[in-house]
Amino acid sequence: MSFRAGPRKGENYELSQDLNSEYRDKRKDAIKRVIASMTVGKDVSGLFPDVLKNMQTDDLEQKKLVYLYLMNYAKTQPELVILAVNTFVKDSDDPNPLVRALAIRTMGMLRAEKIIDYVSDPLQKCLRDDNPYVRKTAALCVAKLYDLKPELVLENGFLEQLHDMVSDSNPMVVANTVAALSDIHASVTSQPDHSPDDPAIFNVTTSILNKLLIALNECSEWGRVAILGALARYKTEDEKEREHICERVIPQFQHVNGSVVLAAVKVIMIHMRGIRREDLLKQFVRKMAPPLVTLLSSPPEVQWVALRNINLLLQKRSDLLQNEMRVFFCKYNDPLYVKVEKLDIMVRLASDNNVDALLSELKEYASEVDVDFVRKSIKAIGQTAIKIDSAAERCVNVLLDLIATRVSYVVQEAMVVMKDIFRKYPATYEGIIPTLCANLDELDEPEAKASLIWIIGEYASRIDNADELLNMFVDTFTEESYPVQLQTLTAVVKLFLKKPDVSQGLVQRILNTATKDCDSPDVRDRAYIYWRLLSSDPAAAKGVVLAQRPPISLSRTTVSPALLEELLSEIGTLASVYHKPAETFIGRGRVGADSVQRKGLDLVDDQLATQKALQTVAAGQQSENLLDFDDVLASDSQPSGLAATTIIPQTPAAANLLAGTSANPLDDLVSIFGGGGMTGTPSAPQNPLGELSFGGDNGFGSPINSVPPSQLGASSVTSPVQTQKPQDDLLGLF
Amino acid sequence: MAIDGLIILDGAGRPIVQTSFQSTSPAYPLIHIDAYNNALTKVSRPEDVDPVLYVAGISNDKPSACCHVGCGDLRLLCPVSGDVDPLFALAFIRTFIDILQEYLGHVSASTLRDNFDVVYQLLEETLDSGGHPLTTSPNALRDIVIPPSLLNKLLSVAGANISSLSAASSNPFASPIPWRKANLRHNSNEIYFDVVEELRAIVGRNGVSLSSDVSGKINTNCKLSGTPDLLLTFTNSKLLTDCSFHPCVRLPRWSKDKCLSFVPPDGHFILQEYRYSPSSTSHPSALGVNQVPIPIMLKPSVMVNETGGTIDVTVTSRLTTRAIEDFSLELYLGQGAGAPNFMVSAGGSWAFDPRSLILRWEMATVPASSSHTFRGSWISSVPHPRSAHAFRTKFAIQGHTFSALKIDQLRLSGETYKPYKGVRGRSLVDVEWRW
Repeated sequence: MSFRAGPRKGENYELSQDLNSEYRDKRKDAIKRVIASMTVGKDVSGLFPDVLKNMQTDDLEQKKLVYLYLMNYAKTQPELVILAVNTFVKDSDDPNPLVRALAIRTMGMLRAEKIIDYVSDPLQKCLRDDNPYVRKTAALCVAKLYDLKPELVLENGFLEQLHDMVSDSNPMVVANTVAALSDIHASVTSQPDHSPDDPAIFNVTTSILNKLLIALNECSEWGRVAILGALARYKTEDEKEREHICERVIPQFQHVNGSVVLAAVKVIMIHMRGIRREDLLKQFVRKMAPPLVTLLSSPPEVQWVALRNINLLLQKRSDLLQNEMRVFFCKYNDPLYVKVEKLDIMVRLASDNNVDALLSELKEYASEVDVDFVRKSIKAIGQTAIKIDSAAERCVNVLLDLIATRVSYVVQEAMVVMKDIFRKYPATYEGIIPTLCANLDELDEPEAKASLIWIIGEYASRIDNADELLNMFVDTFTEESYPVQLQTLTAVVKLFLKKPDVSQGLVQRILNTATKDCDSPDVRDRAYIYWRLLSSDPAAAKGVVLAQRPPISLSRTTVSPALLEELLSEIGTLASVYHKPAETFIGRGRVGADSVQRKGLDLVDDQLATQKALQTVAAGQQSENLLDFDDVLASDSQPSGLAATTIIPQTPAAANLLAGTSANPLDDLVSIFGGGGMTGTPSAPQNPLGELSFGGDNGFGSPINSVPPSQLGASSVTSPVQTQKPQDDLLGLF
Repeated sequence: MAIDGLIILDGAGRPIVQTSFQSTSPAYPLIHIDAYNNALTKVSRPEDVDPVLYVAGISNDKPSACCHVGCGDLRLLCPVSGDVDPLFALAFIRTFIDILQEYLGHVSASTLRDNFDVVYQLLEETLDSGGHPLTTSPNALRDIVIPPSLLNKLLSVAGANISSLSAASSNPFASPIPWRKANLRHNSNEIYFDVVEELRAIVGRNGVSLSSDVSGKINTNCKLSGTPDLLLTFTNSKLLTDCSFHPCVRLPRWSKDKCLSFVPPDGHFILQEYRYSPSSTSHPSALGVNQVPIPIMLKPSVMVNETGGTIDVTVTSRLTTRAIEDFSLELYLGQGAGAPNFMVSAGGSWAFDPRSLILRWEMATVPASSSHTFRGSWISSVPHPRSAHAFRTKFAIQGHTFSALKIDQLRLSGETYKPYKGVRGRSLVDVEWRW
């Protein structure tokens, strides 16, 4: 509304009157009121000239408030700010260092093109100021200037000046200089076409290193984090230097501030890699554990970050915290996100020695109020059973106790877990099958139902009334969800192969229903295949349907080894908290599984094999596409739309078949049909693809769920695909 | 690159104060506020919101993350973009809350609004627009931002220009010691140490504690003139493990002979934090834990049936000389709980919060070796109520520490006066009892 004069009354008019008052305190009070209006979103830009008049003052507080006002409107009305430039320049020469610093800081924040050219001279002076407060403020201002107009920084030699300031006598100046140089470095290297000898690149040299190590112990916590960040980037020359850095950084573990501790852990993790002395490594790891555990007595949000990082460290160094499991026991009042993370770590730490304590805890958690947490605890019991053979029986007993509680979701989750245990220890716990079957009526979740049906099918020969039980499911076949339908189909066929005499009619009926009345193509296709197999060659059918399933195991890591290495060098950053490479969420272009692999190559030698495996699968997938969907999808490795829904269920096995990676085609069929529906991810831990997919298929920010064996039910149809196409998962995430 | 800014939300999720964001899009802070408020609607308890939220970018913008910490009714949000340490942002928020507390006393939406000019100045001084925390040490901050005080207000009403008066420190940051102001003068030279230890434990159904740990800190209030160089020695410093220190403490000296040698900052600060673990001195027991004895005994008997439940709890103090203070016991009764009817023994009171469904029993003091009971019943409108399977008790003990940490002596060099010294011990206990 600049075309007409402001109204003669109203709040702004009054403010304008007061701003021009002859009394000092009245003017100051008016400025405060202006700022107050500004914060609640009122437009007070009309008062600009009036406020500007109050800029020249001895009162520092008033000056600050006027500066604040200027900063707020500089973005929207840069032409007005030009009016203030002279005062800024004058203030940067003020005898009071606070005023000098304030002026230079504000000028750096005003992101107006027109002002920038005026900044150079005052900045030049402030960088050489006597007062460290002014110097450190000026250092940061250079980084902001670079962000806006890099040429200006280069022309004026500010970069060289910053490099000189690394040797400043004041540690805080050193820290801020390092922060500024790192910022400039980051903004250069984020550009895709930067040249490696760009002057703005900040390479930590040996002489800088020593200065940093000295300043490290003397500056504020934030300064330490900045310096540790620079140390993490330092390229060491030899092992001795690495040891030296580690030894100098370790005292930082004793800092009160958790972010300093994590930044120090990061430096150690990076420079530890090149150290070969086993005793030294052990010593470092031993020193790393206590400060992380100490963080667990901090507020919950700090605990969570610490737990996420501990989880990652444990995947690399399982000897860490071996005897500390009790620290991770969940309290009733812990927030859910902390509990879930603790649970995961507890399972990771489980061993023969502590499994009893762990199980009684898990049983306790299974009686808590929060349903999500109860389910996760029951899953953890299953994971423990799969991880520790000798404890499996105790786990089964705990699960039976839980089933006896008859709480619906407890029973259902226990059923799912039971299936995994049957899978891992075949023919060991048949005695409990009747107990499980007794709970048939309570199951209403597809995953639990499918699990029980799988168990019935698998042990059909030992269950006297298996045909009756399955008959119930066949009766309601068309009303069930697809995972349950798939399992019912497979279970009935298994029953038929084991007891042909009693189930002839049943199998006929289900094949009929599945092929005619079912609207899922997966179910129909599977039924057709079974039908074909059974009618043409029952022996082959037996070979396919009743084949030995590959064993399942609890994967030691939730991320691929290559990614793990990358994340460990990023300890304490968002990447390590999310357990994902930074590129996936800070948007420097999308990342595929292969780029993660490529990074891994620098670190881990044996990644070549992985790369090959990936290529094989990709090739197989492509040839599959070529054959079946000759035109559209041939060049597109990521099927979409309708095509995707039909291609997905058949891809893995068929791809392997066509790529000729498997000697026995039947095995592959088994993996998809006999097992694929039930097993979730039939990946052995050494299968890098399977692990990658876990890095990818978890929701962003949601607690990572490292439960390979129990991916079942709804996800069971798609899980083979996840193993197949990890890159799609990573891409699809964002 | 680092922290993009800070937003303070009031209890209703509306922003009160925010820093000027460097981001080009004015919507940037808004999407973070939205992200937080959305996440809040999805959880049953506000404290269950993930502390780091993923925030998708607007159109082509890159995504970012929102770190947040609660403080009373308020929520402080820190949007971060780029791969930075979330703990860095979280630690900064905590530091800022501490600073606010130091300046305003009580931090709430109304005190923030009343003192917004101070809050703004604090934001400007503590967080650079490039995302680097600047001055957060209270000692240095007091030089550049004048705390609001009654005197200031009176003077400004009277028309005196106090800012130019009290901002006398015209040479800030000139002190050779970054955490300490130069040339301090106090009329009486005194230093107080408050040793506060907190025992956190979980006690199982059989009355045996499953896990327990004691973390302690030494809160210090220092009012010493000049540049005092202190040497603090403990009689039993070996008990302390996993120590972390205020940056003023000289670490080499500590690792050499477990003495604290330091030049203290002025005012309140935390000198040291530690864990006390008795297992470090003796052999760990078969379970791998050595327990710190819990100062009370709790005998719970809870019966939950289809329509409600009954509770009968007896608490006995195991302490023979000291009284327990501020005792409280809490139990979540589960959805549908209501109509509580309880009896408490003398000196106690009980309350039931129908919103959070938490039953609470409080006693101001529990005399040494005394026994108290709490019994009664409640009715649930939901069949088979699922109440929490653990009681939570909290209390404090004055003049007592678990580690029995003793300060041997405090020697002062560099100055000529004799300081007055004070040491106090206090224990806080937070125990979960399963039933």
